[in-house]
Amino acid sequence: MVVGKFNPIRKVNTLEVPVYGIDAISAANGWAMAIAGALIVMSGLSLLSFVISQLHKLAALLEKTSGKQSEKALARKTEKQIPSAVHPPAFNIDEAREAMAPLVSELGEDFELKLLYELAAANDLPHVHLSIRSLRESGVIAPTAEGLFRWQG
Amino acid sequence: MDLLIQFLTNTGYYLVDIRYIVMLLIGCTFVYLAIAKQYEPLLLLPIGFGVLVGNIPFFKGFGLGIYEPNSVLHYLYFGVTSGVYPSIVFLGLGAMTDFSSLLAKPKLMLLGAAAQMGIYFTLLSALALGFMPKEAASIAIIGGADGPTSIFLTAKLAPHLIGPIAIAAYSYMALIPIIQPPIMRLLTNKQERRIHMPEIRPVSRIEKLLFPVAGLILCCFLAPASIPLLGPFFFGNLMKESGVVERLAQTARTAIIDTATIFLGFTVGASTQADVFLTTKSVGIFFLGAIAFSLATASGILFAKLMNLFSKEKINPLLGAAGVSAVPGSAREVHLVGLKSDPTNYLLMHAMACNSSGVIGSAICAGILWSFLAV
Repeated sequence: MVVGKFNPIRKVNTLEVPVYGIDAISAANGWAMAIAGALIVMSGLSLLSFVISQLHKLAALLEKTSGKQSEKALARKTEKQIPSAVHPPAFNIDEAREAMAPLVSELGEDFELKLLYELAAANDLPHVHLSIRSLRESGVIAPTAEGLFRWQG
Repeated sequence: MDLLIQFLTNTGYYLVDIRYIVMLLIGCTFVYLAIAKQYEPLLLLPIGFGVLVGNIPFFKGFGLGIYEPNSVLHYLYFGVTSGVYPSIVFLGLGAMTDFSSLLAKPKLMLLGAAAQMGIYFTLLSALALGFMPKEAASIAIIGGADGPTSIFLTAKLAPHLIGPIAIAAYSYMALIPIIQPPIMRLLTNKQERRIHMPEIRPVSRIEKLLFPVAGLILCCFLAPASIPLLGPFFFGNLMKESGVVERLAQTARTAIIDTATIFLGFTVGASTQADVFLTTKSVGIFFLGAIAFSLATASGILFAKLMNLFSKEKINPLLGAAGVSAVPGSAREVHLVGLKSDPTNYLLMHAMACNSSGVIGSAICAGILWSFLAV
């Protein structure tokens, strides 16, 4: 620092000359230290004060941006969800019957729907739940008196 | 018989002299003030008891005293001389401080800066009284009214004065209710004391998160020597405001700051051994400390009045007195003086804003003085 390089400070420190009053202040470069120090702390805190007075604008901007992003994300999510609810995936009941028939033969004449579901899922058949429901509704799979189901196809 | 005589000549009863008795009385006074009057008990109790411990006369060379290498007290005192304890205290302070009121009213930060002018006036006074520049700077920082900052700077510049400077700084902090109100009343009229401050706007979480980062960068770029204090301070505050490390923030503002405060107070008290403490320099330090504290209070108030000359929205000048960083003592005193003039005038939140900016300001001042004189 400029003030630190000024010789009288060192002179006073090393020789330990007892000096009093204005002479002592001048010899130790006290005026410069006091004025520079006061100006630095004042300007530093003024700058910080100015910056924090603008923080709410930055915060509003960030909130706006993050708000827009979350709105977009929500819109994308909704777009994805709505078609799947309104337009179910293309489904062919004959294909489902064809895929399920070998599994049913494995389970025997009367079987539990739960077991058919697990077997179909284990064989990676597509739309297992939808397929079984459609086969039930079309009468391909019909309930028996004992709470089991039988293949009618 | 010789053994018994030798033992007796090594006891405190034999070695004691008037200086130790004076210091023991000072220690007892501190303990009394802390317990009976509850003046800053968190500080005065450890310091007061430390004074008692440090002033038990003993035979030199046993490795008992705080200034004797390899003694237990010497190791504990290392936290003071190295500046470790003040940094840890600042970490806890940051984790405690809510900057909402400052963020809502940024111009109050200028009062925290103005109150630091007392430091520079005292620097000049100390130099004029014949103190060496490093000693003068260490004495001047008492005007910041911040114990850890005073100890930190003194440890770096004039370690031989830690005892008297720490005792002076903490004593004046404890005496805020006695020192500040007369100055406030002297420099303001009743009409000024009745100025109401507008309600503080709510501050968003993002602002609170941005502040410690912005504060650290701006302040430490300006005065890098204040990093040991402001680094932990803003880090503690970010932990608090982030909300994602609540456990760490909680520990910082309780267990960690408490541990540091205990050891800081106790060892500073113990460092006031009669033979190194009772000197004419100590008297000068106490005198200049009072001047520094009073000037800091006055400069804050006068600057607030100056701001009122140029500002449409008037500031209650009492708030300037809270620009010293004695948290929360000076803010509380400003609030009480304001209430006495007008029982409906609540200044506490605004005073806390000035107080917290005073903490930052005094740490910057310490950094500035250190970099001026560390050559």
